[in-house]
Amino acid sequence: MMALGALALEAATGAGASGAFAGVGRTRQVDLAVRGEALETVSESTSQSLVLEVWVDGRYATTRTTDLRPDEVARLAREAVALARALQPDPSRAIPDPSLFAGRAELDLELADASIPALSHADREALCRAASAPILGQAGLISTTSACSDGEGLSVQLSSNGFSGSHRRTWLWLSSEVTLQDAAGRPEGWMSAGGPHRSQLPAPAEIGAEALKRARDRLGSRKGPSGRTTLVVEARVAGQILSRLLSPANGANVQQGRSFWAGRLDQPAVSPALVVRDEPLLARMPGSRLFDGEGIRAATLPLIEGGALRNLYLDTTYARRLGMAPTTGSASNRVVQPGSRDLAALVAGVEEGVLVSSWLGGNSDPTSGDFSLGMRGNLIRKGQLGEPVSEMNVTGNLLALFAGLAEVGSDPWPWGSTRCPSLVFEGVDTSGA
Amino acid sequence: MPWSRRQVLAAGGVLVTAPSFLACAPKQAQPQALGSALLPNDPFLSWFGIDPATLRTVMAELTSRGADHADLYFQHTRSTSLRLEDGIIGEASARVEQGVGLRCVVGDQVGYAFTEDLSLPAMLQAARTAAAIATGASRPPPETFASTGPGDRYSLTLPWEEVGIAQRLPLLSRCEELVRSKEAAVSKVSVSWSDSDERVLIADSEGRISLDRRPMSRLWVSLVAEREGVSQSHGSNLAGRHGLEWYDEARLQQVCDEAIARTMVLFEARRPPAGELPVVLAAGASGILLHEAIGHGLEADFNRKGTSIYSDKLNQPIAPDFVTIVDDGTQPGERGALNVDDEGNPTERTVLVQGGVLRSYLHDRISAAHYGVPSTGSGRRESYKHPVLPRMRSTYMENGPHSREEIIASVKHGIIAETFTNGQVQIGAGDYTFYIKNGWLIEDGKVTAPIKDVNIIGNGPESLRRVTMAANDSKLDSGGWTCGKDGQGVPVSQGMPTVLVSAMTVGGTRG
Repeated sequence: MMALGALALEAATGAGASGAFAGVGRTRQVDLAVRGEALETVSESTSQSLVLEVWVDGRYATTRTTDLRPDEVARLAREAVALARALQPDPSRAIPDPSLFAGRAELDLELADASIPALSHADREALCRAASAPILGQAGLISTTSACSDGEGLSVQLSSNGFSGSHRRTWLWLSSEVTLQDAAGRPEGWMSAGGPHRSQLPAPAEIGAEALKRARDRLGSRKGPSGRTTLVVEARVAGQILSRLLSPANGANVQQGRSFWAGRLDQPAVSPALVVRDEPLLARMPGSRLFDGEGIRAATLPLIEGGALRNLYLDTTYARRLGMAPTTGSASNRVVQPGSRDLAALVAGVEEGVLVSSWLGGNSDPTSGDFSLGMRGNLIRKGQLGEPVSEMNVTGNLLALFAGLAEVGSDPWPWGSTRCPSLVFEGVDTSGA
Repeated sequence: MPWSRRQVLAAGGVLVTAPSFLACAPKQAQPQALGSALLPNDPFLSWFGIDPATLRTVMAELTSRGADHADLYFQHTRSTSLRLEDGIIGEASARVEQGVGLRCVVGDQVGYAFTEDLSLPAMLQAARTAAAIATGASRPPPETFASTGPGDRYSLTLPWEEVGIAQRLPLLSRCEELVRSKEAAVSKVSVSWSDSDERVLIADSEGRISLDRRPMSRLWVSLVAEREGVSQSHGSNLAGRHGLEWYDEARLQQVCDEAIARTMVLFEARRPPAGELPVVLAAGASGILLHEAIGHGLEADFNRKGTSIYSDKLNQPIAPDFVTIVDDGTQPGERGALNVDDEGNPTERTVLVQGGVLRSYLHDRISAAHYGVPSTGSGRRESYKHPVLPRMRSTYMENGPHSREEIIASVKHGIIAETFTNGQVQIGAGDYTFYIKNGWLIEDGKVTAPIKDVNIIGNGPESLRRVTMAANDSKLDSGGWTCGKDGQGVPVSQGMPTVLVSAMTVGGTRG
């Protein structure tokens, strides 16, 4: 793969590129699903691609192909250069500065587990059946499917100005979905867990049991009331609202005028209870890396501290346009500093409110921060969980919502690249019946 | 890797992945091979570097352990994208994606594999992988293959592959020029362009070969405007299976005018009151209601498994008698148009709800066999990397008996929804949402103040029962909608006449 990348660079510079960056990736993935007691689907694939970026006389273009025959790669490089030449010069486009490559951490991030590529279909099927075991035969069951998804990927990157690096990753995820019958409909529940190492997978039966519990929790749900109230957002879905807050915190949005963070760097904007860092160097986390897509060395990036945004995600292009130093162009792992109380204690501390266990649709405006989201969960009365509710919306502005963040839980969700605990927001507008 | 719900997103949105759900059915009657015998020099075969003998060899491997059905889905897609920012077209991208997906169906099981290496050894290896799902005796491959040529629902006089990059650039520059000349408050204009030229060859175990060449293009104009220190952003887009000539001056004017109007009105817009309100859905893009409230729920895989809220409602009244809802793959140039679906079956105009009565689900080959009905030509996939699922194409409601004016005049206090960004549905519960970016308050039967950023949530069957009026102004939206299901995105269209739903939960504020 390194040789293929080198061939692409050589062809690009030979065709007239002043700089080039190549990425070659190969991924093998297997998906297996068991529905009820029957094997339903087995899917296995190996995919490959080459991405080539070129800079030609102040112009920039990218090409991508799944055809990795050397002749095709050389043709692609020539096409990339021709494509760039057809464009206008853009002074903000430049190959990343090699000083940003230096000082790469020398760590084993433990992103690959040799036991995962060795899994057999029988192993995968056994995992699925074990996950479904607590669900099968339960009252009201309409359908259940458990699915295993695993794979291995190798990616290499190299540039004409000296960058060279590679990442090898594995992953194994196990999921269960349950549909039950009730008088009004067919409520569903799901649970999914996994990570780069097989040892990170919880006991399969725990996954199935949690999916079943989640479906049962939805039985008999009804539309809740409209009003202004306290929201306790469960850790497993809290990362989604955090992502809406942070997605405009990047150079492209700010420079293009599409970010409510513009002009607010280092200005108090949200509750000091929220502390978030981008942490690329954590072992066995799905988003971990030693360098980013531009080859920039990975390092902790403080995002929210002391109630203010401390850094933007900045790639080379938008950093140049903003006259700032590049940080990194994309998120790795987002880690929220946990509080001291678990979900039960957070709920117990709420006089009246709603526990949000899932979102349904909705959106947010990155320019204004206005948002409106569908939600489901349970009412909270005098610190106790009440009846399940659905068909409700929560509406407001993201900065105002996070300014009203009263407490962060001690229970960060352990699956995926966002480690966010449960969050308590006060003074939130909900709409229902 | 969180599981996804079914959702529709405006083009450019991000879809999360989910384990595939695909099941199969008992043996079904095999369709008769139609069309002409495949010649070794057929241009599509040449394109993929294969010939009938190679197809037969790979098919033999794919059915070597038995199969009720098997197919090979060859795809080659060449796409180009461009972006204008800060007055400079400074980013261009070209992409080539090629591969073959191999599927083996046995009883209730599906084996699937794909390869991007179209050499015979690589295809045989993938065939062995997919065939491993089966444990029976081999099924001989077809003696011959007969092909059905590409249809003409989106033939272009000048295929995108033959359009030079320099011919595309003026479209972007002209849009920026139009916006700048029309609205001084605009501080940023970005224009995105994408087009693709896709060749598909589907060969199946019954000896059928289906060929299709599928163009797609999209132009998206996004703006930021500033007024008294406040910024607002919005945009508009045009999309379809169209060629370069379709993007004429009138259409460029239209998309720029829409982008400006939709953005500038946000300065005056507020949030409606929270709670249940009557909602008028404006003609066109409001078809998102159908997509979420009923369309996904009628995809037959969910119904076969009993997981859809519509699983027991076939041939029952589910809406007033003036409601007829159609899913149609035959409209020329639409994003949802197909000459054949991704299993090689002809597409059609499928009437889902006729006079308020639920008449049909959307079927792929597997669900059609389960229900003992013909396929509706709704088997679709994102690419060779994905197995087929029953999917929507172009979903719309036909004209009703009322007028838009009558409908608005009938509302004492409610909202009218005009533009949307996305929607989502939970199949089992039937709860769905869609997000209104632009709308208006209706007060005492008159359209008054603009509103923005409102999520609407409802229950599909309940909302259909609450459709109390439908106008005679049905139209399709011209925007670039993409539907997501189980990690696969496919292009779709949607349409609607002006409709009144008597009560829906509106995401507003108490302030």
